[in-house]
Amino acid sequence: MTSVPQIQVFSVEGKADAELPLPDVFKSPIRSDIVQTVHAGMAKNKRQAYAVSVKAGHQTSAESWGTGRAVARIPRVSGGGTHRAGQAAFGNMCRSGRMFAPTKVWRRWHVKINLNQKRFATASAIAASASQPLVLSRGHRISTTPSIPLVVSSSSFPDLAKTRAAVALLKAVGAYTDVVKVTKSKKLRAGKGKLRGRRHRQRRGPLVIYDPATDGKVLSKAFRNIPGVETCPVTALNLLQLAPGGHLGRFVIWSSDAFKALDTIYGTSTSPSGTKKDYSLPSAQVTNADIGRLINSSEIQSVVRAVKGSAKSKRAGGQKKNPLKNKQVLLRLNPYAKGYADAKLGQTKYKEGKPVRANATFHDVLSTA
Amino acid sequence: MSYPASSDLLWEITRNNSSFLVKRKTGSGVRLSRDPLNLRNVHSRKHAGAINNQAIGIVPSGKGGISLLTKKKGTGATISQSYKPSKTSRKAYVQIANSTTKKGYRADLREDAISRASALIRSYRKSVKPTKESKPRGSKAKASAASAASADL
Repeated sequence: MTSVPQIQVFSVEGKADAELPLPDVFKSPIRSDIVQTVHAGMAKNKRQAYAVSVKAGHQTSAESWGTGRAVARIPRVSGGGTHRAGQAAFGNMCRSGRMFAPTKVWRRWHVKINLNQKRFATASAIAASASQPLVLSRGHRISTTPSIPLVVSSSSFPDLAKTRAAVALLKAVGAYTDVVKVTKSKKLRAGKGKLRGRRHRQRRGPLVIYDPATDGKVLSKAFRNIPGVETCPVTALNLLQLAPGGHLGRFVIWSSDAFKALDTIYGTSTSPSGTKKDYSLPSAQVTNADIGRLINSSEIQSVVRAVKGSAKSKRAGGQKKNPLKNKQVLLRLNPYAKGYADAKLGQTKYKEGKPVRANATFHDVLSTA
Repeated sequence: MSYPASSDLLWEITRNNSSFLVKRKTGSGVRLSRDPLNLRNVHSRKHAGAINNQAIGIVPSGKGGISLLTKKKGTGATISQSYKPSKTSRKAYVQIANSTTKKGYRADLREDAISRASALIRSYRKSVKPTKESKPRGSKAKASAASAASADL
């Protein structure tokens, strides 16, 4: 077992002046699938029931005209003297008819989520919030942040009542660039939500987690008017805040007391939780998820068989080279080529004049045969 | 699970959803990346700078210079070194290669790093070709002739 990593604690002025051991909840497995399903369920549990009126589309005494009138047999509004008379009613295809399968308030709005799954998801989200690449991939601006996870000394939190002081704290620990991002992101919401109290939409900024027992609750008032910044007591962590949209890696600012309390709230790898009954942290299926390191480890390399055959180059058959252009290949095919070229036989012309005729003896021999 | 999480795991978490990821419906659904530590701007395991322990980035730094970004060991913070390419841009390439890939730091990215630096330097150059004078045809030609005539009057 390697030694426990130490996490720096920053003062309100942004200086690292202490260290704390990393709580074991940060070593729990990061399971985005569990976080996503639990988040989907939790988001559904806040819904309010809605439905169309039960009477909608049925507030008329329409009756079908039956056959023989050369019109469809749909119920029609009775009477005369108004345009409505004789119009079709009730059906979902009719103007002023009821909708297809009218929505009911007794739809299944809420989802039961197993408690252990909820806790697993929360532990996963906490672990992911300590991963710098995941916080970056969620889109937080953390280039000026000295360390992830970011822990701030609890000493000043009980007196942190003013927003000005809260902003100064965020600036000191390099978290204000993320707030600037949120401020710039504020946009008008598309659609009807504008009229329903959800006028603007904006990004999420840092989440400040404190310990209500020692830090007090006054800091939540100091932070509440800073765009995108949320506060949450460590005793009641919320997955909707730790992994907004089911996406892992929220930028979390821990108070040092809240950070220390994690070991009692979630337990450690050896001891169960102090506050949750019969709960111990989830353990990973594999202790080392680094596949490259696993494959190249001496344990694995010592048992895998040796590579069959020798190392093959890509040009196993040898590259075909053009003997007309490559002299070495030409010489291999035609050893005479060198002598031919040296004597410049290719350039010499035929001798002057016509070829000499064969003499008489030659013709005699030829004709006797 | 060991802390910090391995880059293989991080890639599996971020491959379908990341703030750097740009999904395009054109170009047969090409997936690009906005990561400054990504040399080819493609969203792939090899080029994902945020999740790899070692990564190289080349970004413009004002006044026709380029910056080389690498990652700090341990913390994963980005380190930036700036170069001002001299007359011979080859010196910049040599510096980039010598300070990273030649030391065994992501040797697989050498070609991409140098081609990105080269593309940046090329983009700073002013075009030598003089712009052609436009020769309008058809109705545009008539309009320009008319405007020239009215200017004479």
